[in-house]
Amino acid sequence: MFLAINTSDARPIYQQVGDGIKELIARGELKEGTVLPPVRQLAADLGVNLNTIAIAYRELQKEGLITVKHGSGSVVASRTSTERNQDELLRPLRTALTQMVLAGWPESKILKLVMNELNIVGKGNK
Amino acid sequence: MSLNWLAVIYYLLVWGAARIRGTYRRWRQPLLRGQEWFFNVHVQPDFYAGAGRKILQEYRMRIFISWAIEAPVTTALFVSGHVQYVSFLILAMAAFIHVFQVFSVDRAERQARQFAVEEAERPVAALALSLKARRLRDYTNFKVELVIVFCLVSAVAVLMRYYFSTSPDHHNLRLVFAAPAFWLYAQIGFLLAKVVVVAWRTPIPQSHMEEHLAAREETRKLYLKACDRARVLLSLAILCWPILLSVPRARLGRASTIWLTAFLMLAVVLGVWQEIRRKQVLAVTLRAQPVKLPDLLGESGALRWPVCYQPSIPMIAPKGMRGYSLNLANQLTQLGAAYVVGLVALFALLRMFH
Repeated sequence: MFLAINTSDARPIYQQVGDGIKELIARGELKEGTVLPPVRQLAADLGVNLNTIAIAYRELQKEGLITVKHGSGSVVASRTSTERNQDELLRPLRTALTQMVLAGWPESKILKLVMNELNIVGKGNK
Repeated sequence: MSLNWLAVIYYLLVWGAARIRGTYRRWRQPLLRGQEWFFNVHVQPDFYAGAGRKILQEYRMRIFISWAIEAPVTTALFVSGHVQYVSFLILAMAAFIHVFQVFSVDRAERQARQFAVEEAERPVAALALSLKARRLRDYTNFKVELVIVFCLVSAVAVLMRYYFSTSPDHHNLRLVFAAPAFWLYAQIGFLLAKVVVVAWRTPIPQSHMEEHLAAREETRKLYLKACDRARVLLSLAILCWPILLSVPRARLGRASTIWLTAFLMLAVVLGVWQEIRRKQVLAVTLRAQPVKLPDLLGESGALRWPVCYQPSIPMIAPKGMRGYSLNLANQLTQLGAAYVVGLVALFALLRMFH
């Protein structure tokens, strides 16, 4: 269970941490009830400010992907507890698809790519 | 043989051998990865023919600073007949040598970086971060803890019984409890050291992740086991104390000699064991090629002094402009400081006991 952080990535560190954890949950590598490392440990390991990790955890908590329990730290929440509307979920997909169409990619290539990514990311649903 | 003589023998043979071995190891350390490396800095091919020679010499001279401090103090102790303080000198020197080595290596590496291979000095962009919660209990051997608890509980029970079995006029709190209290406190110190080792930060590059991960974990386990061995040794000392106290006065000298010799032998065996294990871990560590990790904190410029107070920085000693800066806001730093204060208080308290 490793989180990939890349300094050449345009996204800020907190977002990379949040996205990385989301991806691991989606793939099923982080199962419901898994205890995440404390903010202090993750921040110290990465060598960043406490707030950087705290923001990432807060975002995940807001999205219902993790729950913070006193005494046992942050725990991966049940997948059914994630309540987000369709529009909200479709927005990033639409943005990504727009970019691909504008880049001139044929529909077949886009479809293949989406299916591949879904296979990787959607492992946790199988 | 008197106890003082045993202390002298211990100092000269065991500590002396450990010191010579340690000095030799530190002497060789910069070149362990070959002539292309200076510690973990990938240097240019002509480094050791030019400026590198001076940097290497300066580093090697610094190794002898601890000898220069220790020699006069030891001589003064031996000449004045205060041989009983030798064990405290060993403890203080061991702490000093380890802390000083960290700063010495950091200084040498900083000097060498000017002559490093350019591409090797570029920080790696891709990092891997373990999402496994690292807790002390994950690195705890419960059998060892059981032995320690058994030793402590049994010793305390017997010591209490011994203390209250003597007539109130002959109660001697210092004789019965001083040594075990000191050993117990030393044991708590090793437990604190374990917490620090578990918290030791471990970002690793995504390339050659397995080698780096193995190197970090093996090193962590080596230090943790060393702490556990020291704790068991101290617990056994506490357990043996009531036995020593119950020996008749006429046989006390002989019993003490046997007791100290046994511990001396045990310390030697554990020392050799640790050295063998250290060499195995070194082989694993050398397989992971050093890389420069990026500074994601971006506050190095603000950390100008050897100490700082940064509640938002979770590290004990973040890297600053002139080396490491001890973070006084860190919980472990505060615990360490409290431990030192507690040690002084314990000594003061033990002096008051009668």
